[in-house]
Amino acid sequence: MSSGVSRRDFLKLARNAILTVCGLLGLGGILRFLAAQTEPAPQTDFDLGLETRYAPGSRTVFPQIPAILIRTPDGFLALSLVCTHLGCTVASQPDGLTCPCHGSRFDWNGKVTHGPAVQPLSRLRVDITSDGGIHVHIA
Amino acid sequence: MRRWLLIASGLLLIVLSVIVWQESHRIKPIALIPSLTGQVEYCLTCHSNLAQISSSHPVQTFGCVICHGGERLALTADLAHSTLRGGANPSDYSVVQTSCGGANCHSGPASSYSDHIQRATTSIQETYAGAIASMLYTFGAEPDLNARFATSAVQAPGSTSGITSLSLFAPAPSSNPAILAFASNCLNCHISGQPLPGAKYFHFTGCAACHTPTQIVPGTNQTLPPTGQIHKLTTAISYTQCDTCHNRGNYDLRTMTFQARQDQPTDRLHDYYQPIAQFTSCEYQLDCIDCHTRVEAMGDGSLYRQETDIQYIQCKTCHGTLADLPQTKTMTDPNDLAFRLAQLNPVVDLKLGDTILVTSKEEPLWNTRLLSDGTYELFDKAAGAQYTIPLVKGSGCQQDPSRQDSASCHLCHSVRR
Repeated sequence: MSSGVSRRDFLKLARNAILTVCGLLGLGGILRFLAAQTEPAPQTDFDLGLETRYAPGSRTVFPQIPAILIRTPDGFLALSLVCTHLGCTVASQPDGLTCPCHGSRFDWNGKVTHGPAVQPLSRLRVDITSDGGIHVHIA
Repeated sequence: MRRWLLIASGLLLIVLSVIVWQESHRIKPIALIPSLTGQVEYCLTCHSNLAQISSSHPVQTFGCVICHGGERLALTADLAHSTLRGGANPSDYSVVQTSCGGANCHSGPASSYSDHIQRATTSIQETYAGAIASMLYTFGAEPDLNARFATSAVQAPGSTSGITSLSLFAPAPSSNPAILAFASNCLNCHISGQPLPGAKYFHFTGCAACHTPTQIVPGTNQTLPPTGQIHKLTTAISYTQCDTCHNRGNYDLRTMTFQARQDQPTDRLHDYYQPIAQFTSCEYQLDCIDCHTRVEAMGDGSLYRQETDIQYIQCKTCHGTLADLPQTKTMTDPNDLAFRLAQLNPVVDLKLGDTILVTSKEEPLWNTRLLSDGTYELFDKAAGAQYTIPLVKGSGCQQDPSRQDSASCHLCHSVRR
């Protein structure tokens, strides 16, 4: 070649460049494989803040759980809002909890007042930490 | 040697480039984990724009696969749809038990009002038993009008009608030509039958024949999707859906062919069932399902010869007679069927303590209610319109008190067409 780079050197340079790109692509693939994350395990512990946030008699819905936290004279009661009939999310109404799918109704203790559900809503474990923090567990 | 090494590295680069390109264009799946199954599905990757099928079947709870089948993790249409149940219609009776059945769904016990599949698949609208029996008797193939055959073999061990099974109607090739023509031309309108060609006849099969609206309801802003995909189930069934079978013509028994209606009805009175029939105002102003209850339309689990064997609603069911007010029931049980039905189609806010009309078989007419002034109101199940039900007792009705059946009412109250 007139530029001074021999044909052999050019091919060598091209080969090395291609192998370098291939190596980088391969390395990227390996890193991507190693960095792949599986679906995180579903959350089972929910920090609902300090108990002072909840007035006596209050009923607070947490759609992300889904659950309702009820402050009773005896403490806190957490009910799962998953309908025991087919698993729809139960809605809080002034007179109780109602499933929008098939009309099951529950009282504020989770007891069935109206079918087709026959099982009461699940009661969730409520822990209160020493500093007054409320934690609800769904498992 | 070096040349081959260069060629090999070039090929390697091409292969890796193709892989990178494919990876960059790979469909990003949209995962859904329905609470009922807990298994991830990727159907929403392509179908996220579909409307929710009904408030009773939210996709977050049911997902898609539990009803439709299909390959839940596939990302290509062909593979994903390769194992769909019933094609696009999982409610077809050939697959309905798998798609819609289950003790908590639609094939549970009658005591929990979830025996829909058993009732619907034994109903007259599916078996067509009376029409088949009449035709076979007319052409001398059977000695009487008793029902022996249906559009499919069906068993109903608990049937209280005296008919516990029907055989498949499949006439031999050597049968009377009229019978063969009937089998070929006249079975379009049972629920599993493929509809006649034409938009006005179009309906799906199985549960969707009635519960998926394929007809535009006049006076509404309803439109049908241009894709032909109608993803909806409803209990608010308009008369227009019933019309896909019941209002488009008649079968000519001489030729055993369907004779389509030639008129083009432009008003509700004429766009209603058979042209020869007579109607009172409520019979054409209301929707079919306002009078023809769930048992009349979907059966009660027993096998019957013909519709009149199970049809029992009379004018007096709602209007009473000269001597008696209509039969009623005060709602005291929160688990009463009436509440379930009203919840599915909330045209009326039914409450404990309300008094509603009931049929002679004590089937609740949940869309009615006794008002404080002693009159009754009725809400149209499809349109939601409110009507006041006039009572015969205390009216100027001059009918013979012993003739309070519907046919007698029609003598005075039919509307001229």
